[in-house]
Amino acid sequence: MPTTSPKQHTLDLLRTMLGTHADFRPGQWDAIEAVAIQKKRALVVQRTGWGKSLVYFLATKLLREQGAGPTLLISPLLSLMRNQIEMAQRIGIRAHTIHSANREEWDTVETALKENTCDALLISPERLNNERFLQSVLPGMTGSIGLFVVDEAHCISDWGHDFRPDYRRITRILNMLPKSAPVLGTTATANNRVVADVQSQLGADLLVLRGTLTRESLRLQNITLANQSERLAWLVENLPKLPGSGIVYCLTVPDTERVTGWLKKKGFSAEAYHAESPDRPALEQSFLNNEVKILVATVALGMGFDKPDIGFVIHFQRPGSVVAYYQQVGRAGRAVERAYGILLSGAEDDEIQDYFIQSAFPSIETMNQILAALAKTEGLPINDILARVNVSRSMLDKALKLLEVDGAIGTAFENRKTVYFRTPNPWQPDIERIEHVTQLRRAEQSQMQDYMAHTGCLMEFLQRALDDAHPQPCGRCANCRSKGLPKTVSHELVIEAEAHLKGASIPIAPRHMLPAGIFPDHKRKILPELLNEAGRSLCYYGDAGWGTLVRSGKYEQNHFSDELVEAAAHLIIDEWKPEPFPVWMTAIPSRRHPELVRRFAERLSTRIRIPFHPVLVRISDAPQQKTMQNSSMQANNVFNTIGISGDIPNTPVLLVDDILDSGWTLAMAGWLLRSHGCGQVFPFTLAQATARNS
Amino acid sequence: MPLTLDSQSLLLLCSHLGLPTDPELPPLTLREWNPLARKLQAASLRPADLLNLSQQDLQTKLDIPTEHATRITKLLERSGTLAIALERLNNLGIFVLTRADKDYPERYRQRLKDSAPAVLFYAGEKALLGQPGIAVVGSRHLDEAGQECAKFVGNACGLSGQVLYSGGAKGVDTLSMESALEARGTAVSVLADSLERTVRSQKEALSRGDLCLVTPYSPNAGFSVGAAMGRNRLIYTLADYAIVVASDAETGGTWAGATEALKNNWLPVFVLEHEAMPDGNKLLLQKGALAFPHPFRDKPVKLSEWMNEKAASLPPKPNQPSLF
Repeated sequence: MPTTSPKQHTLDLLRTMLGTHADFRPGQWDAIEAVAIQKKRALVVQRTGWGKSLVYFLATKLLREQGAGPTLLISPLLSLMRNQIEMAQRIGIRAHTIHSANREEWDTVETALKENTCDALLISPERLNNERFLQSVLPGMTGSIGLFVVDEAHCISDWGHDFRPDYRRITRILNMLPKSAPVLGTTATANNRVVADVQSQLGADLLVLRGTLTRESLRLQNITLANQSERLAWLVENLPKLPGSGIVYCLTVPDTERVTGWLKKKGFSAEAYHAESPDRPALEQSFLNNEVKILVATVALGMGFDKPDIGFVIHFQRPGSVVAYYQQVGRAGRAVERAYGILLSGAEDDEIQDYFIQSAFPSIETMNQILAALAKTEGLPINDILARVNVSRSMLDKALKLLEVDGAIGTAFENRKTVYFRTPNPWQPDIERIEHVTQLRRAEQSQMQDYMAHTGCLMEFLQRALDDAHPQPCGRCANCRSKGLPKTVSHELVIEAEAHLKGASIPIAPRHMLPAGIFPDHKRKILPELLNEAGRSLCYYGDAGWGTLVRSGKYEQNHFSDELVEAAAHLIIDEWKPEPFPVWMTAIPSRRHPELVRRFAERLSTRIRIPFHPVLVRISDAPQQKTMQNSSMQANNVFNTIGISGDIPNTPVLLVDDILDSGWTLAMAGWLLRSHGCGQVFPFTLAQATARNS
Repeated sequence: MPLTLDSQSLLLLCSHLGLPTDPELPPLTLREWNPLARKLQAASLRPADLLNLSQQDLQTKLDIPTEHATRITKLLERSGTLAIALERLNNLGIFVLTRADKDYPERYRQRLKDSAPAVLFYAGEKALLGQPGIAVVGSRHLDEAGQECAKFVGNACGLSGQVLYSGGAKGVDTLSMESALEARGTAVSVLADSLERTVRSQKEALSRGDLCLVTPYSPNAGFSVGAAMGRNRLIYTLADYAIVVASDAETGGTWAGATEALKNNWLPVFVLEHEAMPDGNKLLLQKGALAFPHPFRDKPVKLSEWMNEKAASLPPKPNQPSLF
């Protein structure tokens, strides 16, 4: 051990990392001392940017100097830890990450563990159930795990604002550890109830270290604007007034794309950031370097992303909870004197939040169907489950995760596939738990509605909601100062924004593969000569552009308006210009609304001057396609219900439908047409359903 | 399922859980654990106390040589990896019994003493381990008489409420076990390999509580001859009676297991007797095994009663206290 006091020694290390004038922030040394010197279990509740990673890396350094084994850090957000890992290298901490996307590095990590040259191993909670990780990586570790760090520790409690089933596994593991093993939980936000619950699960001797939440530089303001066009216009009028760079948060992926498109059109330096964005690290880097001024992001831009000079965080839509809002807005103003947190809210917010709440849990029926399907076999890959259970892929993933954490199913890797199998453990649906989490989400939603309408100090409202020990009026928010950014926008800009929303057509990517289990003796890849061409949709269903007109056309008037015919014709002729241009047109037949799509297609065919031939027919009464929850079910449903009638011209065709749901109806109809000698098939739909891809 | 600190300590010392497959740091064998257990008992310590002893303490308080103390300390250090591995097994329906558990099969303690496995992995109803029952052993390849006998004994156990003990392998084991379960009876299979895999194929009987799969080997261990041989005694020592359906003479696992059981006088051993019986059967009869007629001339439910009468002549065994 060094001759100086442990605290001085740790401070020296801190200065090696951050520079000679750096000092501990309040609470940092207490946390380090608790785990690295006293070997206790501690929970650190500190706002983002306080320096939690500093605490666990310094604690790791001290423990390693005492001869302890490496730190195991469990975090759901590994991809965002690059900065912290680089920082840790400055005090000689060799941190490694293991996740599903870096299998090629696993051997290196294994060797490092064996040779005791890995000081910290960063994993996601899922790794704790991975066969290879458990049977080959972890056992290779020389000696013990010196320190367990659990990031986002609020997830240990069901009362936390985000529900991650994997954390039940972490709790069980921590409870199997001897009391002498140090554990550090970290979270940015946990109210008293969550802290008490975490304490009850991890043991009463858990030391809770809690800091204040307020951020001196932040100026909050809430603005309600009727619709998306008004909010888009507001952004263009007000972004130039805000300092530096910033984030615009949206609730869905399509919204980030639409807002980004608009901002770019109006000359702003903006990029969309979400779970499907290509090369997220590069995007983060150019934002960090201020090459991109505005990141339009979903929650995928999460905790751990640390840019000190963010001047503003604007919410284009209202988040689901005060905690989520506070975490996101708290990214602004870490190292700048003045930063803005603006919450915009409008009509669609509740609708989107309701959808998130309703789709948070798979139904008990679905869970039982999955178990029944698995009980009859020794194990099934995911595609075979989808062919047996009518559930969407994303819902199936949630159900499998829950069942796995409950010990009702296990996984094995066989024949290069993950196979799910039923275990002998009994399983009872935890109805109480599901209801309790759902009620909590409702309460959070209504608290956000209250926040939106609050006329007193906004920061104080957030502090009280988060059980800060010393809430007080901030004197900086728009309510405290009785002024702020304008709440109205110019009419001209609103009209332009509306045109942007209406003009942004959406591509339809052709499906290349048949779903598993449809034709057991066929290859799943669709032959190139039977594939659809790329297609277009006019809008997202129900959105602020044409979406509302499509909705009322379909469910209120049973008639799509002339405006929609005109917009579709404009899109096809002037914007899309498919090549070779279709010579004739046909439409997807419907049992329930037999006239709706056909009449629309006839009017469209007159407008763009190509003949309409109704060659596709219903051959049986099938359930609505949208009730089919996954690819196998959907494709089967289409295949059993649509047939060909009459001669098929061997020329290019425009294939029309009203709303694109899964894409299987178009893919299978195109497949039918082409295998009956049709020319190229260009699909067009009025709208795309967003719920499943948001 | 809560794990006592005693069990945790035994698992850390004596199981492969959370250890690499290459034996840089092998767990303690029974030969190594038993002397340590004696030292603990002499010092009025429990296995759990090891978790709080430093390497220095081990050397001074328990008089353990440096090198051995280092190894023990290293094994005990891996509680983190053990917890992670154990949590996964529990989720798959696989649990642990150690010699320090009160639920550890009493018959192993009494009959095997020091050579009772320190750690057992099991799935299903552990209360079946050591319940009154009959063990069926024999080769994988059976003649017709052997097949009929295996099914008969399984069925008889099912009908009379006796546990059917076997080794969970193909042939005689599977036939007798399936017959017992079909008759709504109960069975215990002492596996030599692949517990994890077997749990998947037997999940229904396991979840009904009609079956217990148990093994002293790692739950994902593959087949090995040594393990298959070592497992045989763990079948005999759980049961009240054993029936050897077919054995080679002077060779093979069945022969070795049967002669070991006879020599140790663990329980009455019967051998299937019929005209075309294998040579091993004849030799075992000469070595003191009791004859089991084929076909059995009474109702299946009378089987254990019949065995009881036949075995009445054999002397009872004395008792000794046992170690952790």
